[in-house]
Amino acid sequence: MANAQDHLEPGSTRIPIGRFNLMENRYLVNMRKYWMLYVMILPGIIYYLVFKYLPLAGSVIAFQDYQIFKGMLSSSWVGFANFKFIFTYEDFYLVLRNTATIALYQLVFGFPAPIILALLFNEVRLMLAKRVMQSLFYLPHFLSWVVVGGIVFELLSSQGVINMVRGWFGHETILFMQEQQYFRTIVVISGIWKDVGWGTIIYLAAIAGINPSLYEAAVMDGANRWKQTIHITLPTMFPTILVLFLLNIGNFLELGFDQIYNLLTPMTYSVGDIIETYVYRAGVLQGQYSVTTAIGLFQSVIGFMLLWIFNRMARKTEQGLW
Amino acid sequence: MRKTTGDQLFQFFNYAFLIAAAATMLLPLLQLLAVSFSSPVAADSKMVFLFPVEFTTASWSHILQNTGLWKSFGITVYITVAGTFLSMLFSVLTAYPLSHQQFLIRKPIMLGIIITMIFNAPMIPFFLTVRELGMMNSLWSLILPGAIGTFNMIIIRTFFSGIPKELDDSARIDGCNEAGILFRIYLPLSKPVMATVSLFYAVGYWNTFQRAVLFIRDPEKWPLQTKLRAYLTSPEELAAVNLVLGDYDFNTTTLKAATILFATIPIVLVYPYLQKYFVKGSMLGSLKE
Repeated sequence: MANAQDHLEPGSTRIPIGRFNLMENRYLVNMRKYWMLYVMILPGIIYYLVFKYLPLAGSVIAFQDYQIFKGMLSSSWVGFANFKFIFTYEDFYLVLRNTATIALYQLVFGFPAPIILALLFNEVRLMLAKRVMQSLFYLPHFLSWVVVGGIVFELLSSQGVINMVRGWFGHETILFMQEQQYFRTIVVISGIWKDVGWGTIIYLAAIAGINPSLYEAAVMDGANRWKQTIHITLPTMFPTILVLFLLNIGNFLELGFDQIYNLLTPMTYSVGDIIETYVYRAGVLQGQYSVTTAIGLFQSVIGFMLLWIFNRMARKTEQGLW
Repeated sequence: MRKTTGDQLFQFFNYAFLIAAAATMLLPLLQLLAVSFSSPVAADSKMVFLFPVEFTTASWSHILQNTGLWKSFGITVYITVAGTFLSMLFSVLTAYPLSHQQFLIRKPIMLGIIITMIFNAPMIPFFLTVRELGMMNSLWSLILPGAIGTFNMIIIRTFFSGIPKELDDSARIDGCNEAGILFRIYLPLSKPVMATVSLFYAVGYWNTFQRAVLFIRDPEKWPLQTKLRAYLTSPEELAAVNLVLGDYDFNTTTLKAATILFATIPIVLVYPYLQKYFVKGSMLGSLKE
C-alpha cells in the first residue's frame, strides 16, 4: 500500500501545519512548483489586456475632447458634453431608430427561425435525407458577408434572377436594393438564410438529449406528434432557448457591421444606417473619435441593461418552472 | 404503429418545405455559376437561370489573369495560415493552465476573460488602440487583435478538462514537465477538437473583413474579401478595359459573378470534408460549463 502522501493531488501541496503562516505562501509555493503554467498563460493574458481591456479603458475618451496628437492622457476632460451633444443630434436618433427597429425584427423573425427549423428537422425520419439537408443548411454560415452581400445584390438586381422570375409572371422589374421599403426585409431574410441552419445545431443537440422513454409514455397516453412537440420537445429545449435569448439580448443593438455594411447603399441610409456603420463613417473615416465613442458606450450600456433586466426576469420564470 | 392521415400529410409538407428551403441554400451559388459562364448579352437580358446560356469562359479567364485579385488571394492565404497557427498556439497555451486545478489563479483569470465577452469595447477605442500599437496597414492588424477567439478557447479548455488527470500524474512521474504533458499527451489526444477549432479560426481569417476595413488603408495589402468588396462596388476596375468600345465576351455582371465565386470556391471545395468537424465542434461549445 502506498502511503497517504501519494494520494494527494499534485496541486494540493501539503504544507506542514507548523509552517503554515501566510495566505500568499500558498500562491508562492504553487507558482514555484508550476511556474510553467504561469509562463504558458502569459501570452493569453497579454492578449486580453492589450486588445480587450485597453480599448475598454480607452472608452474614457467619450468623456474627453480627444485630440489625436495629444493622446488620451493629455486631452481635456469634458464630462458628459459628448453625450449631451449626441442627444441633440438628429442623425443619432435616426441611426438609433434604425438599429433598434432592425434589431427588433431580427429578434422577432430571426431568433425563432432556427428553433422552428430544428423542430422540423426532428420530424425527418430518413437519416440520409436529414444529413444531406443539414449539410446544405450549414453551408451559407461559412460564406463571408461580402460574398453574401454580393449574391444578394446580384439576385435582386434589375437583371437578376428574382426580377427574371417576376417577369415570367408579368410583374415589372423592381430595384430592390435601392428602395427603402425593402431594405429591412432583405436584412432579416439574408440573415436568416445565412445562419438559420447553423443555429439549429445547438437546439438539435438539446433535442438529442431527450430521454426517448418520455415520448413512449406520451404515446401510451395518446399524444400525437404535435402534442409531443408541445409538451415534451419544446419544454426540454426551453433552457437552451432561454440562454441563447439572453445572449442575444445582451448584444441586442450589435447587429453586425459586416452584414449591414455590405447591404447598405447611400439610397438606403435613411432606413439602414445603423450605429456600427455610422460610427465607422463618422469616427474612423472622419475622426470624430470622442462623439462616436460616446455612441458606442451608450450602445454597450443599453445592451448590458437589457441583459440585466431580462436575466432577472429569466431567473423568476426558471424558478417558476420547477 | 399506424400513421394517421394527418401525420402523413404533415410528413409530406415537412419534406416539401425542407427540401425547398435546403435548395435555396445552394441555388443562388449555382445561379451565379451559370451567369459567370454565360455571354454578357444573355446575362443582362434575364435569360440565365441555372444553366449557362451561350457558354463562354471569357469572364473566368479574365479574372484569373487579374494580378490584383491573386495578390489579395495570396494575402488571405497567408493570414489564414499564419493566423490559424498563431491563434491555435495562443488558445492552447491559454486553455491548458485554465483546465488545471493546480493553476490557482485560474478562476479570477477565467472571470476576467468572461467579462470581455459581456463588455465589448466600442469600435473607436479598439481602433485607436491598434493604431497606437503601430499596426495600421500591417497584416498583423488582421491577426493579432483577434488572435484568441474566447469561444474557441473555451471549447479547447472544456475538452482539456475532460482528459483524466491521472495521465498528467503518470507523465510527471516519467519526468515530463507541463509543456511536455501539453504537447506529448494533451495535443495528440485532442486531434479532433484541434481540427475543429483550427477550422473555425481558418474560416474566420478567410472571411476577415471588418478589421481590414478598419486597419488596412493601402489597397495593395487588402485581403480577398476587401478586394472583392471594392470590385463589387466599382466593377469597372474589375473589367479594366473599355467594355463599350471593345468587343469582349464578358461584362460587369458576368465578371462580378465570377469574382464572387472565386472568393467562395475554396470554402465550398473544402466544406464537404470539414462539415462533420464543424458540427462536432459547435456541439462541444454547447456543452461548456
